[in-house]
Amino acid sequence: MIAPLRQAMMGQRQTIRLGMACAMVASLSAVGLLALSGWFLVGAALAGLAGPVAVAGFNYLLPSAGIRAAAIMRTTSRYGERMLGHRAALYALAKVRAELFAAVAARALTGHDAGRSGTLANRLGKEVDALEEAVIRQVSRPGAWAGALAGLIAALILGWRCGAILLTALIVMRLAGRGMAARLLPEPQRRTAAAHAALQADYADMAGPAADVAIYGLAPAMAAALEPSALAYDDARMDETRAEGMISAVQTMIAAATVALIAVSAQTTPAPFALGMLGAMAALEAWGALVMNDMRGHDLARAQHHLAKLDEDIGIAPLPCLSPAPALTLCGQSFPAGSRVLVCGASGAGKTRLLETLVGLRQDAPQDLAVAGIEPRELGLAALRPIFALAGQDAPMIAGSIADNLLLARPGLDEKALWDALRVACVDDVVRALPDGLHQWLGGDGARLSGGQRRRIVLARALLAGRPWLLLDEPTEGLDTKAEALLGESLAEWLDRTGAGLLLISHRPAMWRLASKIFEIPTGEPTSLPDISHT
Amino acid sequence: MVKPSTILLPPTKVDRRAALWWLTDSIGAIPVAGGIALAVTASTVARQVWPLAAGLLVAGGCVRALAIWRAGIAGQAAAAAMRARLREALHAPLLRSRLRRGRLIGEDMHLAVDSIAETGGLIARFLPLRMASGLSPLLIAAAVAPASWVAALIMLVTLVPFILAMALAGGAAARKAQAQHRALTRLSGLFVDRLRSLPMILTYGAEERITRHLGSAAQDAARRTMGVLGIAFASSAILDFFAALSVALVAVYCGFSLLHLLPFPAPEALTLPRAFYALALAPEFYLAMRRLAAAYHDKQQGEAALAAMRDQLDAISPQPAPFAPPRLWQGRDVMLTHADGASIGPLNWAWTSLGLHAVTGPTGAGKSSLLLALIGQGPACGGMLQADDGAFLPGSLNAHIGWAGQQVALLPGSLRANLIPTPDQTMPDDAELLACLNRLGLGPMLARRGGLDLAVDHRGSSLSGGERRRIGLARAILSQRPILLLDEPTADLDAGTAAAVRALLGELARDRLVVVATHDAALIAMAASVCAVAP
Repeated sequence: MIAPLRQAMMGQRQTIRLGMACAMVASLSAVGLLALSGWFLVGAALAGLAGPVAVAGFNYLLPSAGIRAAAIMRTTSRYGERMLGHRAALYALAKVRAELFAAVAARALTGHDAGRSGTLANRLGKEVDALEEAVIRQVSRPGAWAGALAGLIAALILGWRCGAILLTALIVMRLAGRGMAARLLPEPQRRTAAAHAALQADYADMAGPAADVAIYGLAPAMAAALEPSALAYDDARMDETRAEGMISAVQTMIAAATVALIAVSAQTTPAPFALGMLGAMAALEAWGALVMNDMRGHDLARAQHHLAKLDEDIGIAPLPCLSPAPALTLCGQSFPAGSRVLVCGASGAGKTRLLETLVGLRQDAPQDLAVAGIEPRELGLAALRPIFALAGQDAPMIAGSIADNLLLARPGLDEKALWDALRVACVDDVVRALPDGLHQWLGGDGARLSGGQRRRIVLARALLAGRPWLLLDEPTEGLDTKAEALLGESLAEWLDRTGAGLLLISHRPAMWRLASKIFEIPTGEPTSLPDISHT
Repeated sequence: MVKPSTILLPPTKVDRRAALWWLTDSIGAIPVAGGIALAVTASTVARQVWPLAAGLLVAGGCVRALAIWRAGIAGQAAAAAMRARLREALHAPLLRSRLRRGRLIGEDMHLAVDSIAETGGLIARFLPLRMASGLSPLLIAAAVAPASWVAALIMLVTLVPFILAMALAGGAAARKAQAQHRALTRLSGLFVDRLRSLPMILTYGAEERITRHLGSAAQDAARRTMGVLGIAFASSAILDFFAALSVALVAVYCGFSLLHLLPFPAPEALTLPRAFYALALAPEFYLAMRRLAAAYHDKQQGEAALAAMRDQLDAISPQPAPFAPPRLWQGRDVMLTHADGASIGPLNWAWTSLGLHAVTGPTGAGKSSLLLALIGQGPACGGMLQADDGAFLPGSLNAHIGWAGQQVALLPGSLRANLIPTPDQTMPDDAELLACLNRLGLGPMLARRGGLDLAVDHRGSSLSGGERRRIGLARAILSQRPILLLDEPTADLDAGTAAAVRALLGELARDRLVVVATHDAALIAMAASVCAVAP
């Protein structure tokens, strides 16, 4: 088990113990209900046959009360087991999620798999969900053990041979369940996952060029081309189902054969016989449910393996000391702190890549770059991030309120600061018009912002960060000319006031006047530079 | 007038075979109960029935094992059939309407792949179990009745308060269970969202704050979820209670009946084997319903997925009626409005049926948007659009348009098949195809790699971006359609090839209407009219 989960479960050990106790009581009362009922029936029948004296001597109050008590106990303890199992899992995994996030963040910061893609994030999410289910199952597991123990005691009443038969059967069931699950399931499970991923990738490729699909009527042919992956998925799922079915069927057959063997080998009087038989049957039923753990075992082990790797220790390098407002060097051109630079280049020249490399989000810009004379690759994200605030083209926002998004910028921001930044970004009226204003939940069912509005909120966040360099990537995309002019003026005024430097990517001439210098990404071909002299 | 979408989801049919196999499992319980009853008898009086008892126990176990195995397979086959029907209903309509619905590739992919997979549990397990759970209690009661009609009646009578309780509490429990499902999904979603936003969070150095927030949000969600769990589990508790109660009542009735101590005149003459048989079948009475309750999560997930599919199918607007190619195609003061509110325009143009016309403007100004709007795949059009003297509905000319955009849809198959995608088209011969490809400068590449038999696929993995785009251009030209809409036909080409493409377009414009979105000055100079899209 991975360390954060172990610690989190330690924190919930009271709940877990109680939940396990409930599971044991539930299982014991289930076995007890049937065993006691059987014993009562036979005892009553024999007394009934023996005549009124025997009937009068038969204590029926105790067993019938016991039966009712077992029925009620089974219900309440089962309810407790469910509640406590879920409580333990929910609270433990709440902690694990936060700690895993911190671990992933620490790794990304030191250059280990930074920039997680959506797919990886989804996978990690699913793996944590799998852990959650595993905790719930772990709480119920002792129930099966308690039931088995009760069943064994019941079977021993029928003689040591019956006890031995049941014990052997319990062991064989576990061995069969584990062995079959390990042999039969991983291959179809892996095929299912691979076919699913292939289908996703194929569909994404086909859905891309939507205009071609519409004009040439390619959709039916594409749907047909998707079928092989889809059928491979169906095939793998069917094999998985067959294997699962076979595992369950073998458990059922072992249980049935065991009951038959016990019945044949029992050497006792009828009343204990009934008790032992029904007790053993109930125990076998609870025991058979354990096979669910085996079927999920492979997935769970893989999830644990992945998550454990995240949790490995990573050395943290000391941060280099940089001046608070360093100069930038782009392909030999030097720009002192406070410069306002327009970054030019043909589309596809790598303007966005250049900005993202400067910030430390990636390392693949081919240009010669330096921050305070050092290559950004060498500095790393941790050293670069106090220097730059990037408002990117994709306007990344977290699911949460507008305030949640703005508060990411810097600790200790008050509401007034947020509104000021929104005003500079010319988006304050938009936020004010939302039903919940700053606290409007975005994404999901909340109000949806347009691409342009998101970009300006992301711009406001970059302003709030108060970094010495502001990096803007097409900030006015989706704005009309008038709004763009307003934003340009307000940004110019903000830059004057704060003295921050600016790297700007924009194809809109109205924004060019923010810049006083031009940096052109060299491509080897002569291009005409935009004229920014009219400022 | 907008007609409601005619595309319907296939109905969710219950698979009778899977339901029958689940019923067979209940039937398998009957010989098992008989075997136990015989075994108890054997332990008292009739030693000679041992083999029969053991045989019944084993036979019943085998029937049950087989039934569980086959039920899974039949359910999975039904789920696969449903997935195939859903793919047929969804894939082609979604692929051809993605831009019209304004959806991202990832969103559609999730719906077309993941959501379809998520219906599996509903079809394979929940629906067959629901059908079986309606019949299996009656089946068990019918099997008990010959032995003890009172015991059968007791079981049936417990159904009445059970159904009442479920009607009273079950509805609330189901609603709470849904709320809990949503809360859990959201919690898991928050974690995935923060991982996905990790690069941005890191650039602001906000990872510690996010970790704290994630921890407290998860704790909070856990607390709120626990609040609803109590009620959400109520329906399982009710079920557990009545399942236990029916066993207890049957046991107590049979016991007192055998003791002749019933507080009312004995309605039937009960013997021990009969009583035992009834008792052994009592737990089976509610078993199918307990299995159904365990599959409740499958139901929620499947229904949510189906609802999401229905939403998107309803969002597909019908194609406008096709229109003959006009002699004059014009727009006056046309405004294009994106779904996010950004607008482009006003735009004016008047294109005659022959000739080369250009749409110009800086990158990102909306040239492509105009072309996409005309084929009904882009932003909404306002202002006046005319084809000859009538109003023009975007998309109504699609059958006459040859399109080459920035992304080219390719299907797995030969290059030849991809150049002539529409089956109704008269097939140009290979010489004609090769001549066109040669003029586009693809000759040397084809000569090297197997000519028209070159295998391509939707990933376009064997082709460079530029080659893909020229294949798209060739497809548009070879379609023989009277109108060509071409997005940046000379971009990413070396000077010589670009000149050849310009010459080819000039020739084509003698007998077709060729509209190019471009910022190639030489191509613009050739155009009969220029529609400028201002940023």
